[in-house]
Amino acid sequence: MVRRNGVTLVVALVVVLVSSMVIMAPWKAGAADKQTVKAAFVDQAPTALDDPAWQKAKVAEVPFEGKEKFKGKKVNVSTKAVYTKDSVHFLLRWKDATRSVTKGAWQYDGTKWSRLKGDEDRIALAFEIDRINNFATKGCTVLCHGPVGAPAKEFKLATANTAEKGDLWHWKAARSAPYNSADDSWVTVAGEKTGRKNDAGGGGDVENQTEDKSKPLYMQDPAKKASVPGFLLFEEAIKITDYSIFKAGDTISYRMPKKPSGSRGDIMAVSRYSDGEWTVMLSRKLDTGNEDDVAFTPKQRYSFAMAVFDDSGDEHSYDSEALSLEFDK
Amino acid sequence: MTSKPAARGFALKATWNQHRGKVLEQLALEGILARLRAWQAPSDVLTWTRFLGSLSLVLVLLLFASGVFMAFYYTPTPGAGYDSVQYAQYHVVFGDVVRGTHHYAWNLLLVVLGLHMARNFLVASYKAPRQFLWVSGVVVLHLMPILIITGDLLPWDQKGYWTTQVRTSIIASVPIVGDFMARLLRGGPRVGVIALTRFYALHLLVLPGLLVFLLAAHFHFLWYRGLSEPRDKNRTIRQPIPMFPTLLRRFLLLFILSTVVLGLVARQWPAPLGDPADPTDSNFIPKPEWWVLSLNQLVTMFTGPFSVIGTVLIPGGLAALLVALPFIDRSPERDPARRLQTLLIAAAILLVLATLSAVGYYEHFMKPVIPPRIGR
Repeated sequence: MVRRNGVTLVVALVVVLVSSMVIMAPWKAGAADKQTVKAAFVDQAPTALDDPAWQKAKVAEVPFEGKEKFKGKKVNVSTKAVYTKDSVHFLLRWKDATRSVTKGAWQYDGTKWSRLKGDEDRIALAFEIDRINNFATKGCTVLCHGPVGAPAKEFKLATANTAEKGDLWHWKAARSAPYNSADDSWVTVAGEKTGRKNDAGGGGDVENQTEDKSKPLYMQDPAKKASVPGFLLFEEAIKITDYSIFKAGDTISYRMPKKPSGSRGDIMAVSRYSDGEWTVMLSRKLDTGNEDDVAFTPKQRYSFAMAVFDDSGDEHSYDSEALSLEFDK
Repeated sequence: MTSKPAARGFALKATWNQHRGKVLEQLALEGILARLRAWQAPSDVLTWTRFLGSLSLVLVLLLFASGVFMAFYYTPTPGAGYDSVQYAQYHVVFGDVVRGTHHYAWNLLLVVLGLHMARNFLVASYKAPRQFLWVSGVVVLHLMPILIITGDLLPWDQKGYWTTQVRTSIIASVPIVGDFMARLLRGGPRVGVIALTRFYALHLLVLPGLLVFLLAAHFHFLWYRGLSEPRDKNRTIRQPIPMFPTLLRRFLLLFILSTVVLGLVARQWPAPLGDPADPTDSNFIPKPEWWVLSLNQLVTMFTGPFSVIGTVLIPGGLAALLVALPFIDRSPERDPARRLQTLLIAAAILLVLATLSAVGYYEHFMKPVIPPRIGR
């Protein structure tokens, strides 16, 4: 009798629980009203742009709207994400009619040096390390806080207070791509100028110019073969001692990428430009253990925003709305 | 031959038996324990036909336990409130399970209390002499939405914030007292830090205290009026069963099963936590939860000078009808077949509410909507 009662009780309980869960199912998803990039779990991290691991990820077509000189224009970035038990990877693909990788290179006309026009193509991702007020709903728009009266150009990217902290992943076609990395920086309250700080460690780039800014200071070390043809890496450069070796039409990079190290070199990048399209893969540990990096927990949903720069400086960009990053189980 | 631990166990038990009487006497618990041991219940207590009340109690206990756990981590200020909930959910061991259990337990409690009430309505156990057992139960059921409403705001996420903004606006639309009540709840014209503090105090102190009081009243009436008799006249003589250990075992079985099932569900489908509240983001349109769809439709149907019909008269009338039921339907008849008029009225009301819910579900979850965000 007791046993029969126990069994019927269990059956009745399960029926009530299951039917209740079915009723509640539509409300389970929460209130994510913004575009979501879902990271698919893969056993093996992708190592290349065409790695089969990317087939597991759903593509999110993220719309970007132009600002300043790009106002009224739009760009779409096809975004995919996958993760392993210890790393996360993004695959970003967008149309760009021109491959811009010079960033104001020097050119010699036979008598003097001058800087060529032209910037570089870039893509940047911003995450929250510590919650940034309204970043989840307004994206990078809220990262415009500077000293009172300071022009916006000078304080681009800063949080409202020291409790807020952002993480910036910045792939630069001229300055980080040659080292297969994206520049890793973080965003805090503005000091005298920008609130953007480099992560601990080495990297970035060095301006290649003499003190009077009239000509380049460095050239490719003739004793070393350029490891990335077309780019002058700081580690492979030597000071120019004899400018007479140059002839008209010669060009030299103006910005020399430095080898990234430490926390600043956390983000690995693989990139390709073909058929009028950039494809960039960014990879990082889920948790680097560094205070200047966002630590991802796959159970959690993260807000992020992106910006694309087409041969342009910081103020001329295509910006996305605030996005969500979810890790599929 | 006994092992050393077993021998130690026997020694402890012997010591306890030796001093038990003295300890219980010192704590003045001897009488209570004896009364509990002697207490017997009808054999059909907590069987498949009568387990919804016990399941409700299990869920209330789980809500209290999970709520206390979450309170250890919660900071009742805007912004920090969200951070603390996020931390508890994603960075505290089993935090997601506990918060999920809290989330699913209150959803389930609404369902179970509804079924509990429906069952007691069908078998007419609200009739004399158990009128106040019914009344206290209905008041407990009515307390649940207030607990849910105050709890929704605490995570300070978009859904909680804007849902509260909508709810307090509905309260404010009630003639004469509405504006005062809304200001009392919000502490100002909009939902902000004062509202969060007040909702926090209500959710953690006032309402649980009231719930305990109401449950005590419910059990008081249950104790003195007893369970309703089975309708099957052949089963009127029921063998009593002891509270210890039989009833306690059944209750523990129910408790453990419910905890495990809810814990597994919470682990698999974590409780939702939206984006942090942004009071400047008026594009966010909160969707009504399943239990409030019908009431939400009433609010939508009656607008302008008639809004009071949807916000006060119909919901208030239904609540009053439920409370007053034992005093309206006073005939001793309990057979559903002979109470067709009462059952038909109840079925008609249920049908209207279900239809309103279905329409609300279609409008909020199935009807295509134009996204509110069209660029910046």
